[in-house]
Amino acid sequence: MPLWTLFGLRKGKATTVWPKRGQENGQEGVRGMPRIEPQRCEDGCTQCAAVCPTEAIRVHADQTGAARLEVDYGRCIVCQLCVEACPTDAVTASSDWAFGTCNRSDLVLSGDFHIVPKVTEPESRHGFHRSLHIRHVDAGSCNGCESELQALNNPFYNLHRLGIFFTPSPRFADLLLVTGPVTYAMREPLQRAYEAMPEPRWVMAVGTCAVSGGVAGGGYACGNGLEGVLPVDLYLPGCPPNPAALIEALLMFLERAPQRVKGGRLVE
Amino acid sequence: MIGFELQSIEPDNVPVAIGQLIKNGGRMQMVYGWQPDDGHLELRYVASRGVNEDFLVLRCVPRGPLPSVAGISPLLGWHEREISDLFGLKFTGLPEPYRLVLHDGASPVMPPLDRAYPFDTPMPFEPTEGGMPVVDSADVQRLPFGPVRADVVESVELIFFYIGEHILHLHPQLFFKHRGMEKRFEGRSLAHGVILAERVSGVDSFAHGLCFCQAVECAAHCIVPPRALMLRSLLAELERLYNHLHYLGHLSHTTTLKVGEAEGKLLEERAKQINGRLTGSRFLRGLLIPGGLRCDLAPELWLSQALEDLRKDVAVYTAMLETTNSHLDRLITTGVLNRQVAYDQGATGPIDRASGLDWDLRRDHPYAAYGELPLTVPVRTSGDAHARAQIRIAEIDASIALIQRILLLLAAGPVRVDCSPTPHSEGLGWVESPRGSLFYGIHFDSGSTLSRVKIKSPSFSNWRVFPLTVHDSNMMDYAINEASFGLTVAGCDR
Amino acid sequence: MSNDLLAAGLTSWLIAAGLALTGRATFFTRIILGIGGGVLLVLVVTTLPEGSASVHTPLGIGVSGSDFRLSPDALWLLGFGLPGAIFATWLGTPARHQATWSFGVAMSLIGALGVFGLQDAVSFLVAWEIMSLGGAVMILGEDLAPEKGRSVLFMLGLLEAGSVALILAFLLLSQQTGSLSFSDFAAAAGAMPKAEQLFVGLLLLIGFGAKLGLLPFYEWFPGAYGAGSGATGALLSGAVLNAAFFGFSRGLTEWLPINHALPVSIPGIFIVAIGVLSAILSALYAFQQEDWRELLSLSSAENASIAVCLLGATMMFRQDGLTDLAGLAWTVALLHLAGHALAKGAMFLAADGVYRVVGDYMLVQRGILARNSWIFGLGALFAAMSLAAMPPLAGFVSEWYLFQVFFQGFHLSSLASRMTAALAGAGLALTVAIAFAIFIKLFGIGLLGRAERRVPQIAITTSVAVGVLGSLVLALAAGMPIWLTHLAPVSATFDSDAPSKMADGWLLVPLTAKFAFISPSKLVIVMPILALLPITLLLLSIRRRPRVVPVWYGGRDQNPQRAATTALTFSNALRTFYSFIYRPIIETERESPQDSNGKPYFTRRLVFTHDVAPIFGPYLFAPLEKLVISLAARLRIIQSGHLNFYLSLIGALLVIILLLVLL
Repeated sequence: MPLWTLFGLRKGKATTVWPKRGQENGQEGVRGMPRIEPQRCEDGCTQCAAVCPTEAIRVHADQTGAARLEVDYGRCIVCQLCVEACPTDAVTASSDWAFGTCNRSDLVLSGDFHIVPKVTEPESRHGFHRSLHIRHVDAGSCNGCESELQALNNPFYNLHRLGIFFTPSPRFADLLLVTGPVTYAMREPLQRAYEAMPEPRWVMAVGTCAVSGGVAGGGYACGNGLEGVLPVDLYLPGCPPNPAALIEALLMFLERAPQRVKGGRLVE
Repeated sequence: MIGFELQSIEPDNVPVAIGQLIKNGGRMQMVYGWQPDDGHLELRYVASRGVNEDFLVLRCVPRGPLPSVAGISPLLGWHEREISDLFGLKFTGLPEPYRLVLHDGASPVMPPLDRAYPFDTPMPFEPTEGGMPVVDSADVQRLPFGPVRADVVESVELIFFYIGEHILHLHPQLFFKHRGMEKRFEGRSLAHGVILAERVSGVDSFAHGLCFCQAVECAAHCIVPPRALMLRSLLAELERLYNHLHYLGHLSHTTTLKVGEAEGKLLEERAKQINGRLTGSRFLRGLLIPGGLRCDLAPELWLSQALEDLRKDVAVYTAMLETTNSHLDRLITTGVLNRQVAYDQGATGPIDRASGLDWDLRRDHPYAAYGELPLTVPVRTSGDAHARAQIRIAEIDASIALIQRILLLLAAGPVRVDCSPTPHSEGLGWVESPRGSLFYGIHFDSGSTLSRVKIKSPSFSNWRVFPLTVHDSNMMDYAINEASFGLTVAGCDR
Repeated sequence: MSNDLLAAGLTSWLIAAGLALTGRATFFTRIILGIGGGVLLVLVVTTLPEGSASVHTPLGIGVSGSDFRLSPDALWLLGFGLPGAIFATWLGTPARHQATWSFGVAMSLIGALGVFGLQDAVSFLVAWEIMSLGGAVMILGEDLAPEKGRSVLFMLGLLEAGSVALILAFLLLSQQTGSLSFSDFAAAAGAMPKAEQLFVGLLLLIGFGAKLGLLPFYEWFPGAYGAGSGATGALLSGAVLNAAFFGFSRGLTEWLPINHALPVSIPGIFIVAIGVLSAILSALYAFQQEDWRELLSLSSAENASIAVCLLGATMMFRQDGLTDLAGLAWTVALLHLAGHALAKGAMFLAADGVYRVVGDYMLVQRGILARNSWIFGLGALFAAMSLAAMPPLAGFVSEWYLFQVFFQGFHLSSLASRMTAALAGAGLALTVAIAFAIFIKLFGIGLLGRAERRVPQIAITTSVAVGVLGSLVLALAAGMPIWLTHLAPVSATFDSDAPSKMADGWLLVPLTAKFAFISPSKLVIVMPILALLPITLLLLSIRRRPRVVPVWYGGRDQNPQRAATTALTFSNALRTFYSFIYRPIIETERESPQDSNGKPYFTRRLVFTHDVAPIFGPYLFAPLEKLVISLAARLRIIQSGHLNFYLSLIGALLVIILLLVLL
């Protein structure tokens, strides 16, 4: 009969010290959102917009008639097709996966994607900085986001050390974390989960499907993410966002880390 | 090798033909509907006949309601209900004539997969109280659990008919997560098709993408370069690895073996980090394209050592799991799946191999580079949760050995060729995903864009089988039984 | 004065019996029955603690009549059985035929009065039989269940077996002295050899145990009670049960002598063992019932068994000369049955109330409490809490004393007695735990929940009855120090005044405050004061109206009644755990439709049976039944139908009588 306790003690600490210090976030080699520098584009080239599956990159003629590149990272599914299609180095691969923002408009690099600006500021997270309880609702995801969310509680990331917990019931949750493009059948259960949360409460859209519908959005059975369904306070695109991105977004939301994404660019 | 043989039959001859097929030792895999350009619905019945034999695809054009073959091949019952919901075709004599894929209360203007369905129009939906099954006894408690369940898990509503400790009947209400993915493929290019296929089931991304590519290559008669085939097999095995490690961690969670759960999840994280380091994506996304791989990989430098380190830790871990009595006590004789039931109901993957059915697509219908690789396919006969866990433990070892072998055999070369399917062609792709047999049936229209993509995921087949092991069992064993099946809901619901 | 009250009560009951026989004016019949009960209640209140004087009645065989005297403990037990009886007759039976039922009530009550007071063997037996038959008449007269005949026959069969044992016991006892009077039995038993004394004790155990529900006799309870109504149950579990216990306790303590030669009281140990086993078994089977009446009936058997345990403890302590502890055990038995009679009456009448609005006695969550007056709710709550032994109610007091009695078993001198006391304590702990679960099930599933369709309100008369009985239970507990002073003469037979030592100011103590103490009187004051704190917070918080959302089920609206716990769901876990006792029957049958080729995959219908098997039914009573039937079949030869054969039989009988007289 093996002694599991002894086994665990001998294994030692498997948790990374990141984000307290160091860079050991477990994402070595993992690619994030492509970096786009429109000024390096070839004239008249629309390759990236043509291959983008979710129309995150568009080419529109502005008032002067010149073609403008419009990029909305809220729709990016990190497929890297645009990186392969670009003939110059206007679109380059990067490891910018930490793309969490509080405003939807911060995910837009350029262009008018008809983003409705937020009417009211979300309530202050004062008092929740070191203790946040999250209720997760799967509104039709592909299970990739769930896999990364489940990984948050493995010994490497160990979300509990940051004071963030997943709860079984919305009755004592602070944050509603939604994945998936909100299928027709999950719309009502999602609403009920939101109603069942006592105030103050916030909503987080995890994954490109929840932010803007992703590849699955639209059609006969799906909506286009959480816009128009629930008031969202935190956006994290990615397909799926990895656990380190989730941690960064949550810490940013709890005002324990600065927001690094402004105007569609990840600043250091 | 084309891989499948197409035969046309009359609708009235379908039951006889299928009965004959089963008597000759074949097994039905799926049936799906397709509407070519000219508007008449066609049905495709796909069956496997024997080891290394082509799949048989029976094509029939129904001229009205079709006789159901669920009485002859029970696993087709769900497929027929899906066709009935999404194409509106009526089947006579269906043993379970109820909606499956669309919930009661959904009222689309016309069957959603009909060609004429207006693009991007959501169905009107009124949530109604589920009616089935009807309970006529004051003693039975109808205990609904879900769809929002008590952990970070997928959405499915499990309705227990419960009398205290003893579950009389389980009715899983699936298809809350039905996104209509098959319709999203229509009219897309091949590159986008792969992207979509990868996102049908996130943890089987590579298997779905590979199956899609193989179906397209089958339709286009495209020969993929050997290095790409080898790398495809390597990546498929990497996916199997992290899925099975997650499974062991989750199983330990349900048997409340806390350190076992932590170690399993940590090993899964190491496998995912290997994926990320090798390919740039923890889920092996963005690598496949019909015709090969999008870019070359360089696994020869460091992968072998990383896997050997992982293998040593996994060996210690699984040895401990297999000798922990408290863990084994809860697995042995839990959720027994009878061999005949597994066969009739279409169980696939580790689940039917645990019940004594020796069938693995990699060995029996080789694809990618599996034809040249030595394959060990573990089989058990007890059919309980322990057998299902043992199969996966054996498969972890086999996968690591396979990857090491591939790394030895890997030779330099191109990884991509052009692949352009001819108009009106069709292809069948199949892959042994970590959860079982995955099939893609792809049809192209006149412009060589995707016209119909049918996905038969292993979870669709296995979710059908799962309630049969829960009826008349007890509630304490339920979570362990469900974890031992290791199913995804996204794959089933699409 | 007391004799006048006695005569008045008895007369009114006889008048009521006569009226009931005519079949008309049933309302008046019930009123007169109630008046009789009230009069006797006044008698009890005025004559305690001295006991009533002896009255010579002309009843009985032979030249001299028989004495009628109500001793203090008889008065106590009668007094606590009467409120339930009065309310039961006031509310009447929900069945249509009131006349036969009222006659049965009169018979039972008159019989019970006789059992309490008659002091000689023959009249006692007559009263005993009238009481038993009264119960049968009540159940048969109501005609509530279609198959009532079989269960009533089973009940009568077992009760008659008990009566035969009683007759035999009285024969043995009266043989010694030649007198049929109870006061002479004490001397008679002393003259008997040891083995015969034990045999008489065993006969008394069988005789009275058949009525009290000791093993194996508790098995007639669910069938018989389940064929009657709640009012019948209230009577059978109140006055009648108390009368049977009185007879048993008087028989054991006054007639069986203490054998000072032996260090241990064999009857005492045996009775404690039987009592504990009966209590455990009847509690376990009570927990599995799904019908109000059947559950409450087995719970009555359990409570009677607990009282019998205490009786056994009395005998054990008396043997050792520990007279104070013997008196304590004796008094606790009386307290236990007092609280039980009131609370059980309240629950049975609540069952009737539910039946009147819903139409059946099944335990199903129908949201009854939410729709009815708080008087009903409080009464039912107090009654259920008392039966579940929760503070500060009477059931808690008697259970606490019960354990104090057995904890003090270390005073006993012999190892066997001490072991018995320890094991009995353990067994009773199990019983009390199951009893708690039983009443959670009854109250929770029977009265709570939310209903799909609104049920009508329970009649105000039932609510008042239940409320009054429940508050009487509370009054019994809270005023216990006062009532105990009235019970002092009760344990005079043991040369102790244990009741006066059981109360110390407002505390209740097991003879000495140093061992342990409780105080329901103080709890009754303190608990409401403590409740003021949350009530104040609630009132203060009402200013901020909370947002009300539906119950969280997982995202979908569910029917609360369908998703509620059922009686079977609540008890199935215990059924699995104790399957070696219950030997549960589990059958599930799945029916497939025609077009599935015989394969059992597509279930159209699922039919299931889940039940528990009784222990004594198949192993004891069924073989006995078969034996009796086969004997009867063999004796059929006598019914030959030939007149000459019958005449020759009569002739032979005459010859035998002649011979007996001559010899």
